[in-house]
Amino acid sequence: MNLSVTGEPEALRSGRGEGANVAEKVLGAQGLVKRFGPVTAVDGVSFEIAAGETFGLLGPNGAGKTTTISMVAGLLVPDAGSVTVAGVPMGGSSVEAKRHIGLVPQDLAIYPDLSARANLEYFGRLQGLRGSTLRQRTAEVLELIGLADRAKEPSKKFSGGMKRRLNIGVGLLHRPTLLILDEPTVGVDPQSRNSILESIEALSVEGMAVLYTTHYMEEAERLCDRIAIIDDGRLQAEGTRDQLIELTGGVDTIRLTGSGSLDAGAAAVEQMPAVRRVVRDHGTLVLTVSNAPTAIAPIVNAATGAGLSLADVEISRPDLESVFLHLTGKALRD
Amino acid sequence: MRTGAVLAITLVEIRRFLADRSNIFFAFVFPLVLVLVLGIQNSGDQPAGRVAVVGDDSSLQAALVDALAGSDLEVEETDAETMRADVAQGRRQVGVLVSPEAARAFDDGDAVELEIVTGGQTAALAVAQVVRTAAATAMLRGGQETVLAGTGATEQEVDEALAGADERIAPASLAVQDTSEVAQEFSNVTGIQLVAGSMLLLFTFLNTLAGGAATLIQARRDGIVRRTLAAPVTAGQAITGIALGRLAIAGFQAVYIVVATRLLFGVDWGDIAAVTVLLLLFGLVGAGLSMILGTAFDNEGTATGLAVGLGLVLGALGGTMFPLEFFPDTLRRVAHITPHAWGYEAIAQIQRHGAGVLDILPQLGVLAGMAAVTLLLGSWLLRRSLSRAM
Repeated sequence: MNLSVTGEPEALRSGRGEGANVAEKVLGAQGLVKRFGPVTAVDGVSFEIAAGETFGLLGPNGAGKTTTISMVAGLLVPDAGSVTVAGVPMGGSSVEAKRHIGLVPQDLAIYPDLSARANLEYFGRLQGLRGSTLRQRTAEVLELIGLADRAKEPSKKFSGGMKRRLNIGVGLLHRPTLLILDEPTVGVDPQSRNSILESIEALSVEGMAVLYTTHYMEEAERLCDRIAIIDDGRLQAEGTRDQLIELTGGVDTIRLTGSGSLDAGAAAVEQMPAVRRVVRDHGTLVLTVSNAPTAIAPIVNAATGAGLSLADVEISRPDLESVFLHLTGKALRD
Repeated sequence: MRTGAVLAITLVEIRRFLADRSNIFFAFVFPLVLVLVLGIQNSGDQPAGRVAVVGDDSSLQAALVDALAGSDLEVEETDAETMRADVAQGRRQVGVLVSPEAARAFDDGDAVELEIVTGGQTAALAVAQVVRTAAATAMLRGGQETVLAGTGATEQEVDEALAGADERIAPASLAVQDTSEVAQEFSNVTGIQLVAGSMLLLFTFLNTLAGGAATLIQARRDGIVRRTLAAPVTAGQAITGIALGRLAIAGFQAVYIVVATRLLFGVDWGDIAAVTVLLLLFGLVGAGLSMILGTAFDNEGTATGLAVGLGLVLGALGGTMFPLEFFPDTLRRVAHITPHAWGYEAIAQIQRHGAGVLDILPQLGVLAGMAAVTLLLGSWLLRRSLSRAM
């Protein structure tokens, strides 16, 4: 996709997580509960999203992500709790609140036997676009998603990535205040995936609030200003990436592999203040340290000074996978 | 009600119906081919009967064949075995055996005896009577020629004398009038017209049912219905649009058949207002039923197969493949559980008897009731399906 991006995305994004409270609130979800028979799919989920903010719902399959966004989008009526979009409560027919939402479902919800243009025009009409406005927005979105030159072809002839882009384009047609993307990169090749992620980055820069669900940790880290980790229908934690990492205690792991006296090396480094724990693991010293980037140089000096000849040094920083593991006791893709 | 959204949902159904290439054959080509083929089979100037004449070449046989042909009978000269088989199987109503003795007696001006074989059908008796009259005419003419020739008149003088007599006294003829209800019913309708009315009902229902169910299942399966509801559209608007979409398919199919058969075959559809109201209600029944199938099933192959089967069975039972008038009374009563039977009766009234809307009110009332039931059930199932899809 060739979105026109103004400004520097990284620079803008770096402060938004902290400043979300002062920006205009686009979405407010309070205490959402949804039960299907005896199963509680979503249990007391609350979060807010500000204009220009990308908010991620990270969790494994079956965690309650799609049920949550279905309630946010007005497709499901919550058993408890409330949703407000751009100040409009989602309730009753929800038509007014829905005007502010662009939904990009996980499935390719487009007509395969209709052209890209016909698909966009159909969903544009549902959004209330008419005449020259509809034609203009259709042309803009076709350009945006890189399908202008194939606008007349039935979408069933498109590649998987092109269909995904059209699927996203439908959600953008009416310039929604809140764009909801439900795992939009599932089954997409790496090139198309990167293109989609770039587009989403650009959208948030342009001021659109984005609610993004995924079970890909890398996507959440790359795109989202704030992330909520959801499992078993409950939000386990919410915050910026760094805030979530803090939950793990902020410790890094350093692995020292080499020859010589492993015991002497261990004795030398475990006296250092940054080192919290040292474990010998088949010829490798595994160190739990705080702030590995600053501690690594003194540790390497101490180990080599004690007679350990190092062949390999590996630093592992905690990531969202670690956070999920820490919070739920299971891996993200379990 | 946001009419724009409803209209958008309706129009996209027609667009998808037309985008499906298989529909080009089933909706556009196939109905007209059937109207043409079946119409030709059932149309044209039908002979009063079919007669086989058996015998050697003789003046009696030639005179008899001329007389039979002049009585609007289709005559075939054949052998005795074929004649008996044809009469027995109903292909010919009557067979006439011209023996050599009869041929000689005719040539000699003596009394002639012919053997007539008749089939078992009611019409065979009438045809046999026509044959007797034609034979009598032929023998009378033969006798006249023999007598005149006996006076020494030349062949030309004989012909002129008989022609003069024919002018003064019309030769004997027999007009057979079939007064049965069925014969009277079809007396004013051509084969093409009869078939066109039946095919209009059959294909309008069939394509609405099959096409409407399949596209609804696709839209549900692909998440398009869910996405539609994520737009500022109420469930009621979505359901209305979906129902109207199916009605639009029915309307499109019906208008095509009416216009195409009018232009290509000159079919007279009678009171167009009555036809329009009839097709509107008939199409609504099909639309409702297609919504039921489209929500009751998740597999479009299963639903399409069932829709085609149901469309054909209802069509056959409702008189669109074999005229309702030929059904036994019990079967005819059973046929009225189908919308086709009511549609067929109404079309018959309009086409054959010049009926208008008021004349077909009973049929319209029943179809309106059927439409209400199927649409309400279809809407309820669809609404339930939408809540599940969310």
